[in-house]
Amino acid sequence: MLEVRNLTAGYGGVPAIEGVSLRLDKGEIVGLLGANNAGKTTLINCLSGIVPAMSGAILFEGEDVTKLAPKHRVERGIIQVPEGRLVFPEMSVRENLLLAGFNRRARPHRKAELERVLALLPRLAERMGQMAGTLSGGEQQMLAIGRGLMAGARLLMLDEPSLGLAPRFVQYIFEIVDKLNAEGLTILLVEQNLALTLRHTRRCYVLERGKLVVEGPADVVKADPRTRSAYLGL
Amino acid sequence: MNDSLRRTLLSPFFWLAFLAIAALPFVLQSYYLHIVILALIYVALASAWNIVGGIAGQISLAHSLFVGMGAMVASALFLKLGINLWLAALIAAALSALMGAIIAFLDWRFRLGHLSFALVTLAFAEMGEIVVVGWDFLGGASGLFLPRDTGQFLQFQFGGGEGVLWAMLVLAAACILVNVAILGSPLGYYLRSIRDNEQAAQAIGVRLLRNKMLAMMISAVLTSLVGTVYVRYLTFADPYLLVSPVITIEIVLFATVGGLGRAGGPALGALLLVPLGEVLRGKLGGVLPGLHYFIYGLIVILVIRLSPAGLLPLLERAIARLRRKQPSPQIIANPTARP
Repeated sequence: MLEVRNLTAGYGGVPAIEGVSLRLDKGEIVGLLGANNAGKTTLINCLSGIVPAMSGAILFEGEDVTKLAPKHRVERGIIQVPEGRLVFPEMSVRENLLLAGFNRRARPHRKAELERVLALLPRLAERMGQMAGTLSGGEQQMLAIGRGLMAGARLLMLDEPSLGLAPRFVQYIFEIVDKLNAEGLTILLVEQNLALTLRHTRRCYVLERGKLVVEGPADVVKADPRTRSAYLGL
Repeated sequence: MNDSLRRTLLSPFFWLAFLAIAALPFVLQSYYLHIVILALIYVALASAWNIVGGIAGQISLAHSLFVGMGAMVASALFLKLGINLWLAALIAAALSALMGAIIAFLDWRFRLGHLSFALVTLAFAEMGEIVVVGWDFLGGASGLFLPRDTGQFLQFQFGGGEGVLWAMLVLAAACILVNVAILGSPLGYYLRSIRDNEQAAQAIGVRLLRNKMLAMMISAVLTSLVGTVYVRYLTFADPYLLVSPVITIEIVLFATVGGLGRAGGPALGALLLVPLGEVLRGKLGGVLPGLHYFIYGLIVILVIRLSPAGLLPLLERAIARLRRKQPSPQIIANPTARP
């Protein structure tokens, strides 16, 4: 479904990721691991089109989307749930969700999708009129995921969904992620939390200082000494 | 037409307020009529500015340029080139839209933060004043005089006091309705998401450049049109009044005190503060120089201390408190509804 070839991207001419190649098949859940500053968010932002690629190619369902604007990638179903939630604090939960469903592809099924999202995340249904900025961290993460679904996600890229959440919320969020994947959604899970990611994915990539150093099934990645060194910086 | 616009157009409160203000010329003396007209001018200016400054959260200090474009350029086109003032007003509005689009583009291209955006737009405003004062075609430092208003509608004349009041009332109502329409449409959602978080907005497919440009252009066109009516009312196109960044500061002040980002907030702020300022000046201006500014400033500080989000939310909370005894199901069913 997604194929990334030799992707290099960064800021002001300085690459933050270099020569990254990865692939995701339809219905897969794949982990992207790495310590702080490894380039995980840059990679996600490059896949979303927020950070332009310096070289390499991004293919989504066989189509080259490397040069497409973020809006057009969203319309194709490439959706990121940004790090730190980034909900729109001065808009209500309802407005946050509706806004995401305005794009051309999601709009016709906006009503049905809203019902599905609220059934999946019932906590949001109780908070519809509340300003998103007044939600707890866990609720904001739910909203961010709900927003991604409302936008018509076919590939959902979650950037550090466990960041700064209480353990029981982390557990809950990962259950949601599992459920979405079981329903057939393709998911790229970007995480710093090694154990958790290995438990919830089949296949992982490990990023270290902008380059992929390990890739393969979760247990292989777990056993590889380079995975630990990528984290400890040894 | 979206729901919120339809609801406003069908609202008896809206039309009652409209008719009440329209009837004022029959009961007020000309001095008070002047205050009402001035208030309406600022209602329109603050509401137009709100599209960029409130809804989209881009604190533009360039709006004196658009007022000046509508006032000075339209006057010059009329006086120097003999272009009908209606047409001149439209040309000035189109030029304002172009200038707004350029400013929005620069903001996008160089990824200006909020503070940089405010400072860059202020620099544009200052340059604008220097250009007008130094350019004879636009009247230079001595300004331009329009012919007396004899009520020839086809010449953009409204027949003095009450005519200008009615024209201004229509324009002010239009500015508020544009706010209502934007807030109820996808554009309003996009602009508010940009205000709240540009990166997250992009991540769900909101186009920054297009929406910032649209907001700026709509705001600039409205502001420019108000500028032309303002100069028609004053008859004298004074660059030190109409192209001065001070006018933007007043607009921002009224909008902030009233309630940023809300359709009725800036209008409320202008409706209260303009008459307050004028009356204080009238009553106290001769007693002790500067005393009226002092009291005016004190009141503004008090309001901002009392309700940092503006007077409109304060007013809404007060109304909600009164209604609490009999909760209205409508409010609970649709919490996103805006008055």
